This record gives sequence, C-alpha cells and structure tokens, in this order.
Amino acid sequence: MPAVLSEPVRSHFPTTVNTSTAGRPDFISIQNFSFFYGAKQALFDISLDIPERQVTAFIGPSGCGKSTLLRNLNRMNELIDGISHSGDIIIHDHSIYDPLIEVISLRKRVGMVFQKSNPFPKSIYENVVYPLRVAGQNAKNVLDETVERSLKGAALWDEAKDRLHESALSLSGGQMQRLCIARAIANRPEILLMDEPCSALDPIATVKVEELIQELKSEFTIVIVTHNMQQATRCSDKTAFFYLGKLIEFDVTSKIFSNPAQKQTEDYITGRFG
Amino acid sequence: MDSTRHILTSFEAALDNLRKDVLMMSSLTTRSLENSRKGLFERDEDFCNSVIADDEEIDILEIQVDNEGIEFMMRFHPFASDLRNVIAAMKTSVNLERAADQCVGIARRVKKLLLHEQIAQTLRIEPIFQMSASLLHDSIKAYANNDIELARTIKNRDKQLDTLNREFADTLTDLMPENAGHIRAFIELIFIARCLERIGDQAKNIAEDTIFAVTVKDVRHTLKS
Repeated sequence: MPAVLSEPVRSHFPTTVNTSTAGRPDFISIQNFSFFYGAKQALFDISLDIPERQVTAFIGPSGCGKSTLLRNLNRMNELIDGISHSGDIIIHDHSIYDPLIEVISLRKRVGMVFQKSNPFPKSIYENVVYPLRVAGQNAKNVLDETVERSLKGAALWDEAKDRLHESALSLSGGQMQRLCIARAIANRPEILLMDEPCSALDPIATVKVEELIQELKSEFTIVIVTHNMQQATRCSDKTAFFYLGKLIEFDVTSKIFSNPAQKQTEDYITGRFG
Repeated sequence: MDSTRHILTSFEAALDNLRKDVLMMSSLTTRSLENSRKGLFERDEDFCNSVIADDEEIDILEIQVDNEGIEFMMRFHPFASDLRNVIAAMKTSVNLERAADQCVGIARRVKKLLLHEQIAQTLRIEPIFQMSASLLHDSIKAYANNDIELARTIKNRDKQLDTLNREFADTLTDLMPENAGHIRAFIELIFIARCLERIGDQAKNIAEDTIFAVTVKDVRHTLKS
C-alpha cells in the first residue's frame, strides 16, 4: 500500500544514518523474548543486546531458532498465521511491537537480504529504485543518486554502471545477491538482516559479499544468520549460539570460537554434536 | 549432546595421528638424551653416534607433524580446543626437535671428550643431566595427559636447572687455573651443561604450550609458580 508506505504512521528511527564512530552496545535489545508457531514454542526467553554498527552472527544447528529470531527483528514472521510472542524487542529505545508503529515503516528501517537472491524481473536500475518508487519517489535526480550510492555501497557499481537498464536476471548469482543488498540499502535502513546470504554463492562471490559486509558495517548494524562458522569468524564482531530455541552463549566472536564458556557451544563449533 | 567423539571419524583419526607423531618424537628425543648421557658416563662413542644418526628421524617427524597440522587445519578448520591442540602439537614438535639438536650437540662434544682421559669433574655434570631429563620427561607427560598441575611445576624447576648450570660453569672456571691441562675438557663440559640447560628451556616451552592448549591461558613470560 504505497499510501501507507509514503506516510508511515510513526517512525521511531532517525531519518539519517548516524555515522559517529561510537555505537550503542544495545542498539537492538531483545528482552525475554519467546516465540510460538501456534502451540509450538520456537524461542525460549531470549535476551541479548546487539551492538550498533557491528556485525552480529547467529549460529546454531538447523531448527535452533536463529532465523526465527532474525525474522522477528523486522516482524517478518507476522506474515505467518498463528504466531505469537512474549517479551519485547527494542530498537533504538523503541519497542518494535509498539501498537502505534506501522510495520512497513519498521521494515524500511530494518532491511533484509535472503538466502537466495530474489531480484525482480526488471532492470538493474529499477530493482534498486523499487523501494523508492513504492514510497512515491520518482524524481530522476534522486533515483539516479540512489542507484549510484546503493550500487557503490554494494560493491556492484563498477560492474553494473554501463548496463543499468539491462535485466537484473542477466547478472551472475553473486552479482544478483549484491544487487539485492543494494536494493536493501537503497532506503538507507539502519539495520541489515542477512539470512544465510552466501549459502547459494560460489567462493569468489562469497568473498565479495563478505568484504561488502565489512564495508557496510561502518553505516549499518548487521545481523547475519550463517551455517558457515568460518564465515562467522571472518565477518562478525559478536556471535550468538542457539540450540533448541535457546540462546546458549553470546560473546565476542573471537572468544566464542577460541574459548567458549559453554560446553554446548564448544561441542557445536568443534563438531562434537549429537 | 555427546561430546566425546567428533561427528567425523576421520577428524579424530587425524588428530590422533598428529598426537602419536609428537609422542613418537618425544620418545626418540628422550632416548637421544639418555644415549648422550650413556656416551659420556660409559665413555662409549657408539651411543654418541646413535644420537647423531637418530636426529634425522626426528627432523623428518618434525616436518611430518607440520604437514599433518597444516593439512588438518586445511581439511577441518578446527576451532577452540581442537585448534589449540593442533597448534600445541606443532609447537611441541618444534621444541622436541630443538631438544634433539641439543642432544646432538652434547653427543658431538662427548665424542671430543672421549679423545682425552676421563677427568673427575665429569661426574659433577650428572645432576644437571638428571634434572634436564626429568624436565623433558615431565613436560612430555604433561602434554600427553593434559596434566596442568605437572606442567605448572616445570618453570620453577627450569630455574633450578639454570642455577645448577651456572654453578657448574663457575666451579669449572674456578678450577681452570690449577688444571691447565684439562681446560679443553672443562670447556666441553661447560658447553654440554649449557645444552642441558637449553633442553630445560624446551621443556618449559612445551609445558607452557600445554597449559595454553588446556586452559587458554598464555603463561609465557608470566608464570610465577
């Protein structure tokens, strides 16, 4: 609904990205959060603070709840029937469940990149500006500036600047994923959620996305779900390990992967699981 | 969760092989130290020649441990205790190879000593041999058994070995003026004691790496007790 998108009921988030060096340690504060798919409880009393402009990785075996928690950060799970939750998620001092907040405005501030790249069957240019057009922005100079900024931000500008009006579907897999990142940052969100963003990419494309993540963290708070523990060590500043819907351990990444405090974490990262 | 075995059996086998090769190196190094001692006190050059000959096998094992460690990291990308164990194995093999080199140094000097008549002062080096062998043995035992308490004893005992070595060198130096005909032998003995003192240093390094592998505490240059 473009009318709603262009005029969010209420946005609790700053309209410009904060580029100061000192980030808040509790930019996203997950507080005693439990989540249910119908009668089945998927998350149990999760509490953790995600720092601003850092990369936080969620790791754990399949079904541990990491993607469920990620999708709660922009209320994406609400697209599923029968879900419920308790506890709260606070972003920048405001609950994302505040009844006054328009969920679409939340998602504009909390962008998401999925496991499989999902460009629209449109040109590269139109893919990037799509969120702006939906929001009613059609001024060419604004769109042009957004395309260049976003593609540069996604490290795709040099490869795409001469073919902006070609179909996005002509790009390689890695380029498509970076295009989706460009689209996700076109609206200048503050938070980027990445759900296994490299799992469908070859090693070279993976390296490019990982490098991009490092560059993006100067502007965005990034939360990444990954099954690749090497990727978590390379990309993230902090890591949370989940098991059976519970947060087992959350600490700086180097600590988690060199000397975890919990035996379950050590068993998982060293492959002695199950 | 059962944490006893890795979900990949080849992982456990590779880690076991690495450890076995390090322990094989430790056996050979211990034997070289014992043979160098026998060469000196039994005045038997054959023991010295064995030490020199066995060094090649230890060198080969050091390279093998390095290669196995690198391959292990490449194949399995170990984390946490597994990563520390691989690093400890590789560092321990380096220290054992250096200890074995010291044994070769001792054997070569013993061979020179054997060209001369036996001197009474040779017996004075026996306690240094014993302490050096004890340190090497216990550091390996600590590594093999992840025995942190034993590993923690090594540093102080290494200091005692240093003291013994200094006292030995001072004593022989003091005796030189009145034993001018034995100065060359005294110097060889002083160098042998120095090699033994360095084996103590290698033992201390092995103990410190063991402590790191088990506790994640880097005690190099800091351990007080």
